[in-house]
This record gives sequence, structure tokens and C-alpha cells, in this order.
Amino acid sequence: MLVRARGLAKTFHGPDGRPVPVLHGVDVEVKPGEFVAVAGPSGCGKSTLLNLLGLLEPLDAGEIWLDDVCVSRLSRRAQCGVRGRSLGYVFQSFLLIAGLTALENVLLAARYVGRPRPTALADARVLMDRLGVAHRADHYPAQLSGGEQQRVAYCRAVAPPLVLADEPTGNLDEGHAAVILAELRALCRERGTSVVLVTHRADAAARADRALHLRAGRLESQEGDGHS
Amino acid sequence: MVAIRRLLPRGYLFTVLGIAVGVAGLVALGAMAERITRFIDGGDRFVLGQISVAGEGMGMGTGFTAGGLLRASKIEQIARVPAVAAVQGQVMLPLNPTTSQFLTLTQELILGVDPAVRMSNREFRELPVRDGRFLRPGDRGVVVVGADFGASRRLRVGGSLELASGRTFQVIGVLDKTLTAPDRFAIVPLDDARDLWLRRDPLLVQVFTGGAGGLGRGDLNTGAAVAWADGADPDALARRIQAEVPGLNVTIPGELSRLLRQSTAFFSALLFGVGVLGLVIGGLSLSNTVTAAVFERIRDFGIKRALGATDGQLLREILGEALGVSVIGGLLGVGLALAVGTLVDARGEGQQLFLFSPRLLGFSLGFSVVLGALAATYATLRIVRLSPAEAIRRGA
Repeated sequence: MLVRARGLAKTFHGPDGRPVPVLHGVDVEVKPGEFVAVAGPSGCGKSTLLNLLGLLEPLDAGEIWLDDVCVSRLSRRAQCGVRGRSLGYVFQSFLLIAGLTALENVLLAARYVGRPRPTALADARVLMDRLGVAHRADHYPAQLSGGEQQRVAYCRAVAPPLVLADEPTGNLDEGHAAVILAELRALCRERGTSVVLVTHRADAAARADRALHLRAGRLESQEGDGHS
Repeated sequence: MVAIRRLLPRGYLFTVLGIAVGVAGLVALGAMAERITRFIDGGDRFVLGQISVAGEGMGMGTGFTAGGLLRASKIEQIARVPAVAAVQGQVMLPLNPTTSQFLTLTQELILGVDPAVRMSNREFRELPVRDGRFLRPGDRGVVVVGADFGASRRLRVGGSLELASGRTFQVIGVLDKTLTAPDRFAIVPLDDARDLWLRRDPLLVQVFTGGAGGLGRGDLNTGAAVAWADGADPDALARRIQAEVPGLNVTIPGELSRLLRQSTAFFSALLFGVGVLGLVIGGLSLSNTVTAAVFERIRDFGIKRALGATDGQLLREILGEALGVSVIGGLLGVGLALAVGTLVDARGEGQQLFLFSPRLLGFSLGFSVVLGALAATYATLRIVRLSPAEAIRRGA
């Protein structure tokens, strides 16, 4: 999926009501099948950029195009459909739903976009098997280790053509982090999925086709030349 | 258990318990209000069902038992008044004369009736007998007791009851609950009631045995219940009796009903307050519990919206959960209130404090479901206004 974002800006408000600008007119482009890392110091706007790209947060200015659709101008309801069908998220803190089993968590997005359950179930089982968590399908998140939770969260996120991953390895040890990064890499290569990865880790950024460096809400530099 | 587990979304146990406590409070307070309402309504029905007549003067009793001697000749005169269908002479005495000055809603009374004469009260043609039988013509030395009267003394058919020193009666019947005055009656044959009256009132004995005024046993009536012919206006008939038969205290049914309503206005206000209190406490508890449960899961709803859930899908999902939780919590609350009420009533020595009527239980369940749904809808509408990222942040 081709992602084009132009002039993205976002300002939050502090407890005293004063504006706190976070992003100042950032442009981003991600080609189909490209693995892009977003790096930068804490508070530079990496996660906000990812949230804007994922339609999780309303824009103050700018626009976002997925292929040839300006999704930032769609209605709330239409944006829900875009989130369900085209966007997948992997969060640093996993964000699994505690009241659902691992398998139910993985099937959640399919339910909201009306994907037939048998197909979604078969795909989910294959993916969970590949990530080594199939035997935990009926366990609740609290019954899983951190590594297992992140692999389940990964399984939940990777069906759509654009995957947004916010520090997915931040809470994992080296071994589990390597598994997730390798899977994201393989996702681009084997399925043509576009991946945007927010990370602090230099090794993670090094695996990407391109790395964007943010500083104080502005795009400071880019490294890499597209597909590796 | 598995079925309940499926119905009940994970993590909702304390929500269900919170709802159950709220509904239990609502049902318990409502049941107390129902009990008082039924008592007052029963009394109202009674006074509207007959014209009560007593002799002129105060007699030995007060309240229900007030009135002077009503002679047989007066009863005959009343019976001759046009539109009077029947007159039943009665003796009504307080069970405990030392407390007769204090008319209470729970006063126990001895009622003497002639079983050969049909009950004159249109609303209580027959008193419902739960065990044994009612009085029959020719009975002597027997008693039929009201439900509460019997329960407080653990009386059963075949047992005995002392209504005066050395005067024991055999229990031949126990009435079903009427939730009004007859629950506290001991009903005996009219002649036995006259004997009890004579034993208690030394002055009456002197008058009676001295032959003063030519009194006979048939003159020993504390009052009479007068029935009217179909189509007659009871208030007009009561005034006519008053006018045509001198030396009577005649109660006008409509006026007595108004008087009763006025005298129970405090209780009516009290039960209204209890009902409102029950609704407010139960309603606040329930809506607060459901709303808190939904807000507690704000992060989950943020995640679901990130995964593509629309406002409508979320609302349906939350409403479904809220309804399930409200129904289960409501049923548990009703069960809890029933258990506590039954336990309290069982230890109340015949005093029934709670009346769990079907309308109360139905209303309480409906109330919990509707309020649960409204609270869930309110919370959901608040949540869906947030962006998914904001919902996730707030729930973190």
C-alpha cells in the first residue's frame, strides 16, 4: 500500500490549557512493501506521527492518502472501515483485551470488518502456529508471558496491507525482539506489506529500508534508499 | 455455571454484585412499601364494603371496637329500612383490654359473629380459610384465627387458645393471609364473644344480671355490619339509617374511607418516601455500577476502535453486555431481597414486613434492565466521542 502524508501537524493541550505543539508539518511517504523506521529522541513526536498515520488521532493540519484515497478527509464511520481493513497496529504495551482469549484477540479485527469467520479462523491459526503461540490460543492475556503477548498482538495486526508498529520490541528481551523484527521484515518481503516502525533501537532501525529521524516534531533527516 | 459464565462477560463479577445489591435494596424497600399499601387498601376496602353501626355512646372499646350497646331491637329496626339487604350483629373486643386505648395498625381483636347470618361486607363475603374450616351455625367454644394471629402463637387446627382466664377455645381454622385487619383477628361464635364480653366488663354484668333496661343476650352487640341492596347508594343509605333509627352511631362508608385515608396519610407519605428512596438508591447504585464498568474498559474500547469497530458496533456490543449483566444482577438482587425478606419475616413472630408482589418484582427487573441499558448507552456515547488513541491513553 502506498502511503503519502503531507504537512502533518498536531498540537495537544497541557493541563493548564496551554498548547503543546508536537508535530510541525511532517511529510512521509511509504511505498508498497517498504519497511520504514521512525527514530528520534523521546517526545519528538514519533508515536503521534504513527497515531496520525493510523487514523487513531485527528489531524490539526495536513492530509493522509492511502493509495489514491484521502483517508484523513473521510467520515468517522468510513475511517473505521479503513482502520479495520487497511491498517494494523502493534503497540509497545501489546494492548490485548484482557477479557478475550489469545485467539479471540487475533480474530477481533476480522469481526469488525465482516470478514467470514472460518477464513479468518484458519488464517489466525496458521499465523499463531508460525509465531509459536498456537498452543496458547485459549489462554487469556494474563496467562501469557510478555513475549507471547507481543506475538499474539503481532498476529492480530498483520493481516492488513499497512502495519504500524510502535516500539513493538520495547518490552521484550533480545530473543523475542529478534523474532518480532524478523517477522516484520518478512512481512514486507513475502507479502508486500508496508511497515512503519517506531523504534529507539539502532539495530531495529538498521533492518529497515529507510529510517526517518524526527527531532522536536520535524523531520530532521532520512537514511536509506528504499527497498533493501 | 458454564452457561452463566458465557452470559457474563469476563471481569464483570463485581459489576453484577454491585447491581445485585442495588436491586436488592430497591426490591426490599419496595416490598415494605407494598406491604403497607396492601394493609391500608385492605382497610379501605373493608370500610367501603359495609355500613358499620354501633349503639350510641362509647362502650368499652375504642377505634374499631368503639360504640355503645346495640340492642336487638335496633338491629331489627335497621333491617326494616328500605334498601337494607342484611344486618349482622357483631361483638368486637380488643384482645388485650389494657392496650385497647391505643389503636394501632397491628391491634389484635376478638370478633364474634353469627355464622348463620351471611357476612354483610361486600368486599369480604367470605374470609379465606387456609387450614381447617370457618365457623358453622351451632359451633361453640371454637375459634378461627387470622394468619398473623395464628403464626405469632404457633397455632394449628386442633390446638387450643385461651382468650380469657379459664376460657379455652379449640382452633378449628386458620385464615389465609389477607394482609389487612383480619390477619390479627380471633373469630368466635357470637354467643362465645358475648360471654367473653361479660367476663371482662363488671358493670355490664351488673346491668345484665340486674335486669336493668330489660336486656337479653341478644342485645349484647358492640355493633352491626349492614349490607345494602344492589344499586343502592351506601352513603345515602347510611344517612337514612341515622335519620330513621334514633340512638345509633352510623358510619358513612365514604366519609370513613376519607377519614381512614387521612389518618393513614402519614403512612402513605412514608411509603411514598420509601419507594422514592428505593428507586434513587437502587437506581444510583445500578447506573453508577454499569457506567463505572463501561468507563473502566475505556482502553478496550479504544483498542476495538483502532481495530475498526464502528460506533454502532461498539454500542451494540456494550449494550449486549450491559443487558446481560443487568439481567443477571437484577435476578441475583431479587433473589437476595427474597431471601433476606423471607428470613426476616420468619423471625418476625407473625409480623409480615415484606410483600414481594409480582408487579414489584417485574418492575424491579425491568427497571434494572432499562436503567442498565441507559447507563451503558450514556457511557458509550461519551467514549465514542474520544479518538481511539485518546481512549487508549485514558484507559492506560
